[in-house]
Amino acid sequence: MRRWSGKGLGLAGRVGLAAVALLLSRAVVHAQSVDANEPIAERGRYLAVAADCAACHTAPGGGKPFAGGYGIASPLGAIYSTNITPSRDFGIGTYSEAQFGRALREGIRGDGAHLYPAMPYTSYTKLTDADVHALYVYFMTDVKPVEAPARRTVLPFPYNIRATMAVWNALFLDDRRFEPESGKSVAVNRGHYLAYALAHCDTCHTPRNVMMAEMGGRALGGASLSSWYAPNITSDPKSGLGGWSDDDLARYLKTGDVPGKAQAGGPMAEAVEHSLQYLNDDDIRAIVAYIKQVPAIADAADKAPRDTYGKPSDREAAYRGLDARALVRGERLFTGECAACHRPTGTGSPDGYYPQLFHNTAVGAARPDNLISTILMGVRREVGGHTVYMPGFGSGSYVDSLSDQDIADISTYVEQQFGNPAVRVSAEEVTLIRTGGPKPLIARLGAFAVPGMIAGVLMLAGAALLVLRRVGKKP
Amino acid sequence: MAIPEFSTTGDVSADVVVVGSGVVGGMIANELASAGHSVVILEAGLRLKRAQYVENWRNMSFHNRLHSDFQGLYPQSPLAQAPLYFPPNDYVGLSGPNGSAFKQGYLRTVGGTTWHWAASCWRHLPVDFEMKSRYGVGRDWAISYNDLEPYYCRAEEEMGVSGPHDVSLQSPSERSRPYPRDMIPFGYGDRRVAEIVNPHGFHLVPIPQGRSVEPFGDRPACCGNNNCQPICPIGAMYNGIQHIDRAEARGAVTIAEAVVYRIDTDENNRVTAVHWYDAERRSHKASGRTFVLACNGIETPRLLLLAANARNPNGIANSSDQVGRNMMDHSGVHASFQASEPLWFGRGPAQSSCIVGPRDGDFRSRYSANKMILNNISQVAPATEQALKLGLVGTELDDEIRRRAACGVDLSISLEPLPDPDNRLTLSKTRKDPLGLACPDIHYDVGDYVRNGLDAVNTQVRQIAGLLGGTELRITTDYNANNHIMGGTIMGTDPRDSVVDGNCRSHDHGNLWLPGGGAMPSASVVNTTLSMAALGLRAADSIKADFEKGRV
Repeated sequence: MRRWSGKGLGLAGRVGLAAVALLLSRAVVHAQSVDANEPIAERGRYLAVAADCAACHTAPGGGKPFAGGYGIASPLGAIYSTNITPSRDFGIGTYSEAQFGRALREGIRGDGAHLYPAMPYTSYTKLTDADVHALYVYFMTDVKPVEAPARRTVLPFPYNIRATMAVWNALFLDDRRFEPESGKSVAVNRGHYLAYALAHCDTCHTPRNVMMAEMGGRALGGASLSSWYAPNITSDPKSGLGGWSDDDLARYLKTGDVPGKAQAGGPMAEAVEHSLQYLNDDDIRAIVAYIKQVPAIADAADKAPRDTYGKPSDREAAYRGLDARALVRGERLFTGECAACHRPTGTGSPDGYYPQLFHNTAVGAARPDNLISTILMGVRREVGGHTVYMPGFGSGSYVDSLSDQDIADISTYVEQQFGNPAVRVSAEEVTLIRTGGPKPLIARLGAFAVPGMIAGVLMLAGAALLVLRRVGKKP
Repeated sequence: MAIPEFSTTGDVSADVVVVGSGVVGGMIANELASAGHSVVILEAGLRLKRAQYVENWRNMSFHNRLHSDFQGLYPQSPLAQAPLYFPPNDYVGLSGPNGSAFKQGYLRTVGGTTWHWAASCWRHLPVDFEMKSRYGVGRDWAISYNDLEPYYCRAEEEMGVSGPHDVSLQSPSERSRPYPRDMIPFGYGDRRVAEIVNPHGFHLVPIPQGRSVEPFGDRPACCGNNNCQPICPIGAMYNGIQHIDRAEARGAVTIAEAVVYRIDTDENNRVTAVHWYDAERRSHKASGRTFVLACNGIETPRLLLLAANARNPNGIANSSDQVGRNMMDHSGVHASFQASEPLWFGRGPAQSSCIVGPRDGDFRSRYSANKMILNNISQVAPATEQALKLGLVGTELDDEIRRRAACGVDLSISLEPLPDPDNRLTLSKTRKDPLGLACPDIHYDVGDYVRNGLDAVNTQVRQIAGLLGGTELRITTDYNANNHIMGGTIMGTDPRDSVVDGNCRSHDHGNLWLPGGGAMPSASVVNTTLSMAALGLRAADSIKADFEKGRV
């Protein structure tokens, strides 16, 4: 089982586009355009890639396509993806198109049971009828049936009662199709549809409330995901991506790598590897157009854009040949563990395979989560048939297994020299990231707190929905 | 997952006790821990991080770096010495006509000597297993190439070897499975030299290597730091520490700074326990059902002799009196010259290609075969030393360093000694280690078989240098060590003249295995690590079979 994935927020983390959907669905209804000449199954295949179905429904390390069995780490236990090949016995071979659509958009299986929201149906609910049809045709005709069951998901009580999901859905699932906004360009609307109904960017980048529903008021404003942090990707020039050029954003989505600026790791590397690299240029440009106009969300802690911090180091000449004690611990560890690739100067390699550390978004961020996670777990990203790989330095590392204190000292040194000098990292922070990152409240409270919480939230939600409806009615 | 049991006094008991934590000990520990057995690994040396070795190397003096001090960057336990040469610590006493050819560099540290190998993963040729039958010299193995071939495959897979998928570039080409990865691509120098020398029968082939140009599992891609020896700074080269890590993930426990000095045997001459000194010189006991000594070609025979007991007065496993005899290494020479055109050696891994034309032939009934590694270690350091000697300064100095770094060629040539019982490791009567245990003495004579082989080498090198327009040709006259230590616990079918059988099980003790280079009855001309690992995996299978059949 792999720890986290872009789709692996866990039971609680999958719920609810309701608020966002309400806020964003105030526009005129347009059907998505469909090229009549394009074979429907082929279009379905492309949509399945854009929606990144395979990332969860194909087990890593040689699993058969769409046969399921990928263990998605959740705070409540592993949720195993299902066999969605057209096998009649083990997959979705007996599904009607209506049943298929209901699973995608409402999280309800063919047999009527509720899916856990590890399946992002709160995002897929925005899919147009035409796209659901194309996906159905693709899965039924082009995907090879795999006649084998996927591993069953067994969560502890009360999460093993799937019917509880009905309550969640009532609160947080806005079962409505995407509606383009008037006054926005075709590209922005297309990008909006791609970003939400298919790529489900919000799933990771929008923070969540105590019931793990996305906070619509902070859409794409940055959120913690287990060990990683999905940064603010709104148009704010300091906290978000406002300062990025369209070309850099497009390159990032397509390759996961903008040399001298940003590299995708963790779940974003998976999203690029399995999905985004295969999108056509028009769709990439559409997502860029949409992202660039997402309302800015600023965080006062961000004094400058993430990619403007730091400078190269000229220290090596001063310490080489001296006793190691001449160096502070973090620098000593950095030169032994990191500098062979990233160079003592922090400039990385000329071809960019080993990234530059200064002016680097992961290093310059106000939170060190992604720097720590990168050191612990490394980076693996296969794009265009070529693998970019940095080994992790966690337990069982092929290079060196570092302690939490080691990683804290290296991170603090890297932040001071190459990144955000306001950031200092403690061993406790590294321990937290190593053990799966900050836990959402619902997981920390434990099973017995949940029924009470649901009751409380039912009341709160009633009030919230009233408020949101009023917001929705504004012109 | 089975875990060794420790007593309150620090004694330990496990299904399998492995002494030595190098590539062989690590692989065996991993195999047996994976099969559900409890495993304890005792290692005499320290356990340190890669980064410390990297920094020690970077901070070393130019003199030590230039003269290849691959030992000095690895800090030693004060109680478990390894041979050091900068300056010499005389841990191993050398004598005989070619004693100076046996200055071996091996590490006593968790992970073993593959910390500073070059990751060359050669197989012996099928004929190398039958030297006596085919060429009338040396000894035959107790097993054939075909017996070991599946284990060669497994060892290559364990170590993630990149080797040529092109059959015409394989040496040997008798394989049941392909290399896990295709060959590391030739650099410019390899291609150019192949173009020039191959028409003359030299047959330049890629060296199969325990590294790859794309990630191999969790192992990063080699980026050509050219620093394999003495330390890969990024973990792109296979090191034995990887199998120690894997074994530990499956329940094995490694005890560092544990110097084994005594071996207990019962009335059936089965081993019941080994004893070790810890860092505070306190003695502890490791009891087990099976025992593996995997301490490389010098420390294993030394320990067997040190551990002599009442029932085994000449040493453990030594009823044949062959323990410590037949010591071999690929005693070699270096040839260097300036080619008439730039060849740019020093890009990519330290070893890249090798001339194997003279690896086999009927001449082997009369004199030694050889292989010539086209060394790919950067020529900048020797070029600098040579240019400085010319008294140049300023841009003239820079230009000369550049020219020599680009045109410099270094051939590392290995020859094949025969097993000779007089080439012998014994316990020193005068020198003791800090624990009071006798240091090893080694008497060594390369023998006429090698000396005659060197005549052929000289002729071949002159031809190669001539083809490459070489000037300043130098061929060393003293043999150098290659750290491929073999023979001291030699394999054979007859317990009267050999120490272990075809599974590396000692003839004398039914539950004691001595796998590794010491078991190898013929040296061939190729680096020994892959053969050692294959023998280790074969030994692991025979240990597993003993457990399965209830024989232990």
